[in-house]
Amino acid sequence: MTRRKWREWTLTLPSMGWLVFFFVLPTFLVALIAFKPRSLGGGIGEGWTMATWLDILQPSYPLVVWRTLWLSAATTALCLLLAIPVAYWLARLSQELRNWMLLLIILPFWTNFLIRIFAWWSLLHSEGCLKHTLVWLGLASPNTQLLYNEWAVLLVLVYTELPFAILPLFASAEKFDFGLLDAARDLGATRFQAFRKVFLPGVRQGMLTAFVVVFIPALGSYAVPEIVGGPTSEMVGNKIAQKVFVDRNLPHASALATLLALVVLLPVIYSIFMRRIKTTQRGGKRS
Amino acid sequence: MDGFIELCGIRKVFPGQSVPAVDHASLTLKKGEVFSLLGPSGCGKTTLLRILGGFEIPDEGRILIDGKDVTDLPPNQRSINTVFQNYALFPHLSLWDNVAFGLKMAKKPKKFIEDEVDRMLDMVDLLDQADKKPHQISGGQKQRVAIARALINKPQLLLLDEPLAALDLKLRQRMLLELDRIHDEVGITFLYVTHDQGEAMSLSDRIAVMNRGKIEQIGRPMEVYEAPSSSFVAAFIGDTNFFRAKVVSTVSEDYSMLAVDGLPEVLAYNDKKLQNGQQVYLSIRPEKFRISREAPADPTHINMMRGKILDIIYLGSNTKYRVQCDHHILMITQQHARFLLDMKPFTWDEEVWVSWNADDGYMLQRFEESDTNLLGIPPVEDTVP
Amino acid sequence: MSRIRRNSRLPLFVSIFVMVFLYAPILVLVLYSFNDSRYPGAWNGFTLKWYRTLLEAHTVEARDIWRATRNTLTVAFSATLISMVLGTMAAWALYRFRSRLQKFHQALIYAPLVVPDILMGISLLMLFVNLSMKLGLTTIIIAHTTFCISYVALVVFGRLQDFDHTLVDAARDLGANNWNVGRRVLFPLLGPGIIAGGMLAFTLSVDDFVVTFFTSGPGSTTLPVQVYSMMRRGTPTLINALSVIFILVTFSVVIVSQRMIQKRNSTHSRV
Repeated sequence: MTRRKWREWTLTLPSMGWLVFFFVLPTFLVALIAFKPRSLGGGIGEGWTMATWLDILQPSYPLVVWRTLWLSAATTALCLLLAIPVAYWLARLSQELRNWMLLLIILPFWTNFLIRIFAWWSLLHSEGCLKHTLVWLGLASPNTQLLYNEWAVLLVLVYTELPFAILPLFASAEKFDFGLLDAARDLGATRFQAFRKVFLPGVRQGMLTAFVVVFIPALGSYAVPEIVGGPTSEMVGNKIAQKVFVDRNLPHASALATLLALVVLLPVIYSIFMRRIKTTQRGGKRS
Repeated sequence: MDGFIELCGIRKVFPGQSVPAVDHASLTLKKGEVFSLLGPSGCGKTTLLRILGGFEIPDEGRILIDGKDVTDLPPNQRSINTVFQNYALFPHLSLWDNVAFGLKMAKKPKKFIEDEVDRMLDMVDLLDQADKKPHQISGGQKQRVAIARALINKPQLLLLDEPLAALDLKLRQRMLLELDRIHDEVGITFLYVTHDQGEAMSLSDRIAVMNRGKIEQIGRPMEVYEAPSSSFVAAFIGDTNFFRAKVVSTVSEDYSMLAVDGLPEVLAYNDKKLQNGQQVYLSIRPEKFRISREAPADPTHINMMRGKILDIIYLGSNTKYRVQCDHHILMITQQHARFLLDMKPFTWDEEVWVSWNADDGYMLQRFEESDTNLLGIPPVEDTVP
Repeated sequence: MSRIRRNSRLPLFVSIFVMVFLYAPILVLVLYSFNDSRYPGAWNGFTLKWYRTLLEAHTVEARDIWRATRNTLTVAFSATLISMVLGTMAAWALYRFRSRLQKFHQALIYAPLVVPDILMGISLLMLFVNLSMKLGLTTIIIAHTTFCISYVALVVFGRLQDFDHTLVDAARDLGANNWNVGRRVLFPLLGPGIIAGGMLAFTLSVDDFVVTFFTSGPGSTTLPVQVYSMMRRGTPTLINALSVIFILVTFSVVIVSQRMIQKRNSTHSRV
């Protein structure tokens, strides 16, 4: 082994070894355990079985998976809808003002994740002030339940994921040449046409990144539906935790986790696939 | 058709700024002409162009096209198109789609769009590159796409904002000829904004010279060069020498003798009809002087004086001299038509005759001391130890 | 006035709405930490009693909170330190070597960033169960280090992109040995990036709930887990006060560090 190779390995091995042992290995372990029976003590039994997978096909799960998907998709859509105008606005501010506004947007997200969920929990609580205000305005009856439904989960998911949509979109919008909007107006586009035909394609990369960093974590949501959602708004994450902590059925939890991992991998694989196609196309054109 | 596009008393002050970016600017463009707005950066020419394009709204003043007031119309409702300084080509669209953008916005029929785009791309000689993206082509090609894109809507006025600034010298010269050809072909009025006097001179039918938000002079290229109205115009366009003078006597109806500190009395064309005793500033272009070892043979109508050569800057097609006459330092340019045969070259510290025709000293209406900073040479009355 | 007319105001309105949306819950939280009522709905008058209970720590709850705080800090400092070392080495390897190995290495570093917390939590739990490791502070530290490495590596690698490697050659050319290069060139230039990565790792560790929830055992409760169980038990009154203290600490740290970064930038540009 050359000296250079040796140096490369000494630099690479610690982090790579750590991640292989504590990240890759456990991931495969989970997939493996999904094919194991449970032991009586809540552990993992001997031998192999498909029973867990058959369990998962029972009718309650497709509903949970479907809910997980639509809540994540709706969260992503709402985050993009809010983040695009904010990114546009930020990018047009003066440098100094922009830095402060960016800080102001990020600041709430330096408060603890759980505390932010708790804040919404107490706001939406049946004794909370939002409820009182809505009743006072006549928009809700005293019996309305704001918490423990899918809408509460959606609202708080949007709240927790929003900055992760704003940041990549802002990074794209900052590089966008706003002179292009003038050019579009000059060529007869209305303000909205210029925005749609020129600005949106211009921040496409930011939109893709925002999509990935909002959609994937949303798929794996656990804390938000656990706290502001009820039994009727459980997502896959809640089911996993339930199997671990309540039912002590580790193989079942593993099977669910494997399923979730596959769902998460789909968009990743898709984007890698698309990039491949693009690079081959570009390579073809150049030659 | 006169007065095709009129700007009347345009004034614009940007928020937070005390000095107006454009200060009561008025001009009239004739149909089909190439009109240049020439001035240093920050003189307000780009703001004026953006006001015309509809990107800024003036605080005062009106814009009329064919007599119709368009001051408050947004850019997409004016039949004015712009070639932007950095071209502003849409990076996500092919050249073809860039050119087609305006027609698509206007919701023209598909067949019509296809024909027109092909025709425009053909005119700028880029039809074979139509599928490329803007980042795949050169600066000069981008320039041509930007022009084709702006012309396809058949605007009444084409605005060009420093269109050649990003190109290198040779390409700029080629594009100038190209622009001239395109203008001949489409016959649309061009408003050309530039800080480069060479571009403005070679391309334009008329030029407006702008300084600090105000229009200093409007005229044909030759007029602004030969008969600048102010020290700014004289110094900004080309190089010149300034002399502070006083009218001492009248020679004939059009000519007067002027006294310049330290020099013999100077004969000058007095079209301003200045009276004896009045103070005036005289501008003389470097190439109007002649340097010679012998005094000029025929001294009628000629001013002459003795000087000493301080510096010689050989530039190939011409040579620049810095010549000291009393305490004045003159910048003089001499063409040499026939190398070696002309004469024995001048040397440093050589005592020479400096002469010029009385008609070539031009009296300025306005003079500002600070304009001498625009000159490529130190101020004329710099005293030399 | 006339300029605004040409630009749409919609982005401004949406941004104002987003700002209100972001801050309203937090402001209400702060307000109710001074409320003399056990329920968040009614305002019973101003009080500091929740803060007093928390700081004097003579209730079981308050004592639990302080123990959780100690655990949180132990975990955060340990995970940050380990991940700063491993992450910086990883970033340097990615920067210096362009091999097949580094491509795999890079994919490995990026992967934990896109994997949802709950998957990381459960897979680590399965590993620890299989290894028969007792769940406690050690397992939490391992878990936190696993996701912190990626963030540190990412931040330092980002800084390295702007790093001009000829500086190292220049230092060598001027007679510096490896040690001098490290001390006089690399550390001063990369130090801020490593510290920024460390700060990110620290906040992520303090913030983490899901992964901790899966990998903690009895007695190793961290603050987020503690807050969660208090919420479950339906005694949120102390959480308000705790949250405000939390918010104050994080906000001041963020603002101070922001100030430091800006100052450093301005002195840099002056040089």
